[in-house]
Amino acid sequence: MALSLLRQRAASAARCARHASASTSVAPRARQNSTFGRVEEAPPETSEDWTNFQLKRAEYQSLLENLGQYGSSQTRENTFQPHHSLHRPVAPQDITLSALLASGAHFGHSQKRMNPNFVPYAYGIRAGITVIDLDHTLPLLRRAAQVVRGVAARGGSVVFVGTRSDLRSAVRLAAERMGKQGYHVGERWLPGTLTNKVHMFGPEVARDEQVVPDLVVFLNPIPNIHAIRECALEHVPTIGIVDSNVDPRVVMYPIPANDESTRTAELIAGLLSVAGREGVAIHEEQQAKIASRRAARHREQHIA
Amino acid sequence: MNIARQAAGGALRFRTYATAAYVPPASLEGMQRARIPPPKPKPESSTFYTGRANYYDQLLALESAAKQTRSALQQLHLLPLPQFAQQNLPPLQPVWKSKVDLAELMDAKLTTSRYRRFVTQLNQLNEYRRLAEVAGHTELATRLQRVLDMFERENKEAILARGKSKPVKFDEFGRSYTVGRRKESAARVWVIAAQPAPGEQAASSLVAPTSAQSPIAEVPSLPSAAATGIAGFTSGPLSMSPAPIKVSATNILINNIPLADYFPHLTDRERIVRPFRVAGLLGAFNVFALVRGGGSTGQSGALALGIAKGLAAHVPEVEPLLRKAKMLKRDPRMVERKKTGRAKARKAYTWVKR
Repeated sequence: MALSLLRQRAASAARCARHASASTSVAPRARQNSTFGRVEEAPPETSEDWTNFQLKRAEYQSLLENLGQYGSSQTRENTFQPHHSLHRPVAPQDITLSALLASGAHFGHSQKRMNPNFVPYAYGIRAGITVIDLDHTLPLLRRAAQVVRGVAARGGSVVFVGTRSDLRSAVRLAAERMGKQGYHVGERWLPGTLTNKVHMFGPEVARDEQVVPDLVVFLNPIPNIHAIRECALEHVPTIGIVDSNVDPRVVMYPIPANDESTRTAELIAGLLSVAGREGVAIHEEQQAKIASRRAARHREQHIA
Repeated sequence: MNIARQAAGGALRFRTYATAAYVPPASLEGMQRARIPPPKPKPESSTFYTGRANYYDQLLALESAAKQTRSALQQLHLLPLPQFAQQNLPPLQPVWKSKVDLAELMDAKLTTSRYRRFVTQLNQLNEYRRLAEVAGHTELATRLQRVLDMFERENKEAILARGKSKPVKFDEFGRSYTVGRRKESAARVWVIAAQPAPGEQAASSLVAPTSAQSPIAEVPSLPSAAATGIAGFTSGPLSMSPAPIKVSATNILINNIPLADYFPHLTDRERIVRPFRVAGLLGAFNVFALVRGGGSTGQSGALALGIAKGLAAHVPEVEPLLRKAKMLKRDPRMVERKKTGRAKARKAYTWVKR
């Protein structure tokens, strides 16, 4: 009965544009029509009202959970959620062409904006859009992961730069994965961070701390061209996602991919940070070995 | 030879490799090289390369606190809050630190956009705190309050109380002290509740500042209640007689002079008694007032305002009545100044054609 009601509503919506509002709220209306688990629409006043409000909602949720086991075997846990690319990064050894394709890494810019130096990384052009050859992207991505792992294993600092609002959380999480050796810049890169460090950070910090990083990863190199230039001036190796309108030689280890796609950037940043995390673990292991060797030598000296 | 090569090896950055003589590699084998300097420590904060590490650390801490709170409230089924439940939430009145104070607190330079972003996060956290408090989760609310207290101004109460009139204080005898002004006159009014029973007259003379010499009964002119109600009606509600109102004698002393002596005109006396009439408190209060400045109209208007404020302080229920009757508003009309080229403020000189 409810289903036929829904079908009627959907049919009328398809027929008449006036019922556009009905078409969007068919599912909630169906829920409101049922009386079970219905939350009363009176605003809660006392704390008891609030407790009842919470309990009613909890009841409904537990009901859904209980009935959930009888339906489809697809759950929230085993289905793709948009936040997975941020919080479930792919390991460098598990990256596949289909994952890159699914994140939209193969979409380049318009043919008119193609940089002639990018041609080796382009697969072709379709509907005026450059299609990036992922057969080149994949090994270059893995090479970049090796670089990150190597730098981290030697105790180097890696800076993730992503200056768009949607890249902020990706670079923050990537830096967090690398612990003490990871840094992130989610806002505008201030010019002179590396070349004017005495003015930027003060003479004590510039003298006592290692201000120049050992590797910088750019998720959007075009707005950060000055940062890339500073890195070149300070001899800092760079990794960057280069799109079809960029000369791949601006960075040391280019990754030809779509720089406008959030999912691609999150995938690449996650992958590189996982490689970095492995490098950090290697470094810590080595430090622990050195420390234990030193301690053993001290003990021998004390005994002797 | 080896010492010279040492100096050359250490000073490679000065391109001595290009100007120095050729040395066969075999001779360099036994050379002692300078020890690699120990690596400098890396920067502490992960936002070091933003250039504003202090600010971004604080902001990220706030954002993570907001995320954790949001997930906690979602688990408690308080979020997402439907529209009907938002009605009864108490209003938020945050008073955050100013941009300068916040920059000093964070030890970082703050631009307006950064300050606004920070305050947006604070407001979000404040909303979550309100929700937790209203729903009865006090520990969560207090933890959030502790975080937010760091960023609130010290004189928050003073700022929120701005624009609100200070509550009228009562002294140990139960007198309210209020001030009323009209035109050039200012009146200081003390209002005290009149003692009901005549036996307490002795006690009230001690308590009241009014020297109760001759209680002049301020009996107002009541409409004489006809036995049959309003003339001409024989049936219906208008034919019934209203209940007679008993009004006790009270004192109104102005500059230590009774009301009737100080204001010989009826209009002035009526103006002063009007607050009692509107509030329905005729005979409930004694009034002692000191007034100076202006003339009879100004002084009576000032007294009326002072008395109305005093009544509102004693009996808060009558405040809406007095407000509706515009008795609590200081009449802003003042004597307009005389202007040059005119005889008086507005009066122009006789216009002459030639």
